[in-house]
Amino acid sequence: MKPRISLRNIRKNFGSLQALRGVDLDIFPGECLGLVGDNAAGKSTLTKIISGTYIPDDGTIHLDGEPVRFSGPADARRRNIEMVFQDLSLCDHIDVAGNLFLGREITKGPFLDRKTMLSEARKMLDALEIRIPRLGRKVAQLSGGQRQAIAIARAASFDPKVLIMDEPTSALAVAEVEAVLSLINRVKATGVSVILITHRLQDLFRVCDRIAVMYEGTKVAERSIVETDLEDLVKLIVGEKDEK
Amino acid sequence: MSAYTERSQGSPWADFLSEQAQVLSIAFFFLLCVVYFAATTDTFLTLGNLLNVIRQAAPILIVAVAMTFVIITGGIDLSVGSQVALVNAVAAIVLSAGLPWPMAVVAMLCFGALIGLGQGWFVAYQGIPAFIVTLAGLSMLRGVALYLTQGYSIPIQGVPGFFALGRGQLLGIPLPALIAIAVAILGYVVITATRYGRQVVAVGSNMEAARRVGMPARWTIASVYVVSGVASALAGLLIAARLGSGSSNAAVGFELQVIAAVVLGGTSLMGGRGTIVGTILGALTIAVIGNGLILMHISPFFTQIVTGAIILIAIWLNTRIFTANFRFGFGKGK
Repeated sequence: MKPRISLRNIRKNFGSLQALRGVDLDIFPGECLGLVGDNAAGKSTLTKIISGTYIPDDGTIHLDGEPVRFSGPADARRRNIEMVFQDLSLCDHIDVAGNLFLGREITKGPFLDRKTMLSEARKMLDALEIRIPRLGRKVAQLSGGQRQAIAIARAASFDPKVLIMDEPTSALAVAEVEAVLSLINRVKATGVSVILITHRLQDLFRVCDRIAVMYEGTKVAERSIVETDLEDLVKLIVGEKDEK
Repeated sequence: MSAYTERSQGSPWADFLSEQAQVLSIAFFFLLCVVYFAATTDTFLTLGNLLNVIRQAAPILIVAVAMTFVIITGGIDLSVGSQVALVNAVAAIVLSAGLPWPMAVVAMLCFGALIGLGQGWFVAYQGIPAFIVTLAGLSMLRGVALYLTQGYSIPIQGVPGFFALGRGQLLGIPLPALIAIAVAILGYVVITATRYGRQVVAVGSNMEAARRVGMPARWTIASVYVVSGVASALAGLLIAARLGSGSSNAAVGFELQVIAAVVLGGTSLMGGRGTIVGTILGALTIAVIGNGLILMHISPFFTQIVTGAIILIAIWLNTRIFTANFRFGFGKGK
């Protein structure tokens, strides 16, 4: 099977800091890849490169076998790469429906088609079993979990090919975490490639097919989910430190 | 075992009230001013005086609508007064040089857009704070106006079509007032119901989020300064047409009145939140106070003190009383 997205020798520096030191990674259609590692291992930087938010200093990206260079997040989004950011990237002063359609507003002539957006937003949330009673409310008035649910719904609802989730469950309650995990399994089944960053290692075993471990800007290990366990993962994440 | 029941929802009415609290409070304040001046003076509520108020408020209103866009993006435009003066002076110069007035009007609006584009470029693409860029603009543009006119007032003669812009009437309503109302309606529709308006709010609410969803974030920021440039040019033209002359000393302190109107209307200087309705009420409140105090034969110098005090009190009421978690007193409980 050909990889959906294929990264080779990706490097990124921020000033003197080497954030990524040559990372290779393949993600296949219908697969969930878990990306784990300590803080500052380069997980978020790597996913931001895939989503076009950062431009890599070196290395190549192939999408469905075709070499691509993203000029920015809009470019990546046009190629159906969606990302749920750790900071959620919601506009607090815009209502729920407006945030779901942010950047792809439905218009009728020169005007926003608020009615269609509201009803479509309701359908999107229902499909993901997300309960938000009033879609006309400003996002600032919602709880952390609801905000996170909106960010996930926004990324998952527009036929993504690659769906990147950076800590999607950090602010969620038990039932909502379950909903997100079953959502990941559902979108996976439709052929979407999912990249999941999380500190909740037990979640990885529920949804991932493979796990890549990052350490200090490099990928140090890649394990199929069947050939690893929690203990093994923890060892890989902390590196040699515990062996000394 | 207890049943799983849903928590009851707060009424949509309460949500509406807390969201519109700022506009409602300025509306209340505006009505209070109107009632007060109607009771204390004989002339305030006459048709002639009310028309006069909106004629005089027209330039402030036009620029305040544009300034609302700027402030919603989290920026500010301190140079609008100087832009008004420069357009005012240049319009008089080109008109007395014999340029046909419709052409002069179009040229001045383009000139205003160009000034705004220049300032917007520095703010959006070079990352210089809007306060700094437009403070420089405030100084430079007035300077250019002074240099061009050498400080003299330039008379405009023999262009009745142009004068009608400032002095004419349609159905008994002054033309500048009609233009201001049209601008306000346009501003309201654009900010609430168009994709561009949504982009302006999004950029002010969360610039990085707007960029990540593929909105032209930088261009949106630059564009609001073009809007304020065009609006300032329009205000400059109306003032020139009303006074029949162009002067580099026009509209001194204008930017402060405009910003006061916008802030009074509940627009947040932090960006993201603001309404055109609030701005209109804010501008009218300032105009009514100025007019009412003159009718009461109070020293014009006093007007400034009262205007300042009212801005402070209105904002204080907004932040302390008309918010959801109102508490009184000093740090006692929540």
